[in-house]
Amino acid sequence: MLLPIILFYVLFKYAPMAGEVIAFKNYRFADGIWGSDWVGLRHFHMLFESVDFWRVLRNTLLLNVYSLVFGFPVPILLALLLNEVRKEWYKRTVQNLLYLPHFISWVVLGGIVIAVLSPSTGVVNLILKQAFGIEPIYFMADSAWWPVVYTLSGIWREAGWGTILYLAAMASIDPLLYEAAKIDGASKWRQIWHITLPGIRSTIAILLILRMGHMMDVGLEQTLVLQNQSVLDVADVISTYVYRVGLQNMNYSYTTALGLFQSLIGFLLVVSVNQLIRRFGERGLW
Amino acid sequence: MKRTSRAYGIAEGMGRGFLYMFLGLSSLLALFPLWYELAASFSSSRAITAGEVLLWPVEFNLHAYNRLFEDGQILVAMRNTVVITLIGTSLNMLMTILAAYPLSKRRLMGRSGLLLFITFTMLFVSGIIPSFILVKSLGLMDTYWSLWLPALVSTYNLFVMKTFMEGLPEEIEESAAMDGAGDWRILTQVMLPLCKPIIASLSLFYAVGWWNSYFQVLLYITKSSHQSLMVKLYQMINQVDASLLNHAGGSEGAEQILLTPEGIKAAAIIIAVTPILCVYPFLQKHFVKGVLIGSVKG
Repeated sequence: MLLPIILFYVLFKYAPMAGEVIAFKNYRFADGIWGSDWVGLRHFHMLFESVDFWRVLRNTLLLNVYSLVFGFPVPILLALLLNEVRKEWYKRTVQNLLYLPHFISWVVLGGIVIAVLSPSTGVVNLILKQAFGIEPIYFMADSAWWPVVYTLSGIWREAGWGTILYLAAMASIDPLLYEAAKIDGASKWRQIWHITLPGIRSTIAILLILRMGHMMDVGLEQTLVLQNQSVLDVADVISTYVYRVGLQNMNYSYTTALGLFQSLIGFLLVVSVNQLIRRFGERGLW
Repeated sequence: MKRTSRAYGIAEGMGRGFLYMFLGLSSLLALFPLWYELAASFSSSRAITAGEVLLWPVEFNLHAYNRLFEDGQILVAMRNTVVITLIGTSLNMLMTILAAYPLSKRRLMGRSGLLLFITFTMLFVSGIIPSFILVKSLGLMDTYWSLWLPALVSTYNLFVMKTFMEGLPEEIEESAAMDGAGDWRILTQVMLPLCKPIIASLSLFYAVGWWNSYFQVLLYITKSSHQSLMVKLYQMINQVDASLLNHAGGSEGAEQILLTPEGIKAAAIIIAVTPILCVYPFLQKHFVKGVLIGSVKG
């Protein structure tokens, strides 16, 4: 029973790891992986000296920081609010509407975002113009606006979905605590502050730490569909750069070096984050 | 004392009203862009351009859908996506079940080693280029195997399945073994019926993933006749994107290119999400359970 799965992992997970060796070679498809010449660390030297590298690294980290700072608290807030809703049907309806974008492809969501924000026909610019007299804003083509669009669209897709774990943690809080607080005359706010929030503290901590472990990853499908030529200075991240320069311009070895750099940092981040979780006395991921 | 509690009551009532309103508004806000596209897809392009479309179709017509289906390409792309999704999901479930069952047994020899072997691939994720070279050297380009094989199993879903199987009472299996049933019979006749809920939710997750993914298709499928729905849509959006940039550059002719596809693009978007909306009611019954099992790591 286990043979197919072992073969799968060897061939499609471990073989590509071995394939990372081309970062130290001058890979050409005709020569094959073994036939290509060794060049040592040349690609890494080129990488660290190039302007592009620092640009895509900065963009990758910045987009992650924005998503973390603005995106991380939203599910917590939504879960706190949802938890106070007493009418079951209302709660369920709101939840289902908020979860929905999570199941929709980034192509569709990106297409919608671009359409809605279009300077000529987009509904957002129309509303801005008619209600506030603001001239059309080129949201998608403006380097100042693009990260905002990126962050908000990420929140749109994932914030509702992110509430699930918090709501589950809230559901496991002992109702007697609230009863006791009520008898003592504690207001709703105090109950949230002193009972609900401490009750989900460890969930928040774990999810926050896990999120930090993925600071080097940017959703490739989201970035690719939202980005365009005029905002590459802020929208080009490691993975889209590897795709464009590596595959479309066939710069295989050079971009593999970049990919390997990303994988290694990502690996170190996740492993150290796991140590951190364990130090907090929680169960780690492995 | 009485007064303060009444004050609390009023404050709470107002807070509650505000709470319901805020949540209602945010969920409508999450839905609005999709709703707007739906309205736009049934509106005339004149109305879209003039900015008259907001919540309801203006000058209702099916023109965009007719144009979309005219050349038949979109139907081919839909059929391709259905094939990719159905076979992909079946392969996924087959492999996930086959792998999760033995891994859920503590008596399995070398279990912890195998788990480490599998977990490591979640931590160290190799880049796009080596995978691309592998698929290319295996001669899988332009076949759907280039999509299915590298994604036969999602490690995360495998662990969800394994955790679920570990939670089933062992006595059932033991009694089946006592009756002389072998591993295969226990798996197919005892375990699978018990796993129905998790099989349902994982299949839906896999299927939605296949339906929605586009990057792999973009990488590995170059023939136009083999393209998936999402890639067709992606190309459509990118076109509009390009004309939008020309427009930003101030050229007049670009406006025409930009304005025509807006309604058609909306129609394509609606077609691409409709299947998701159709399975969503079934999906939502299962996904919360799937997520919660996944979060309890074993």
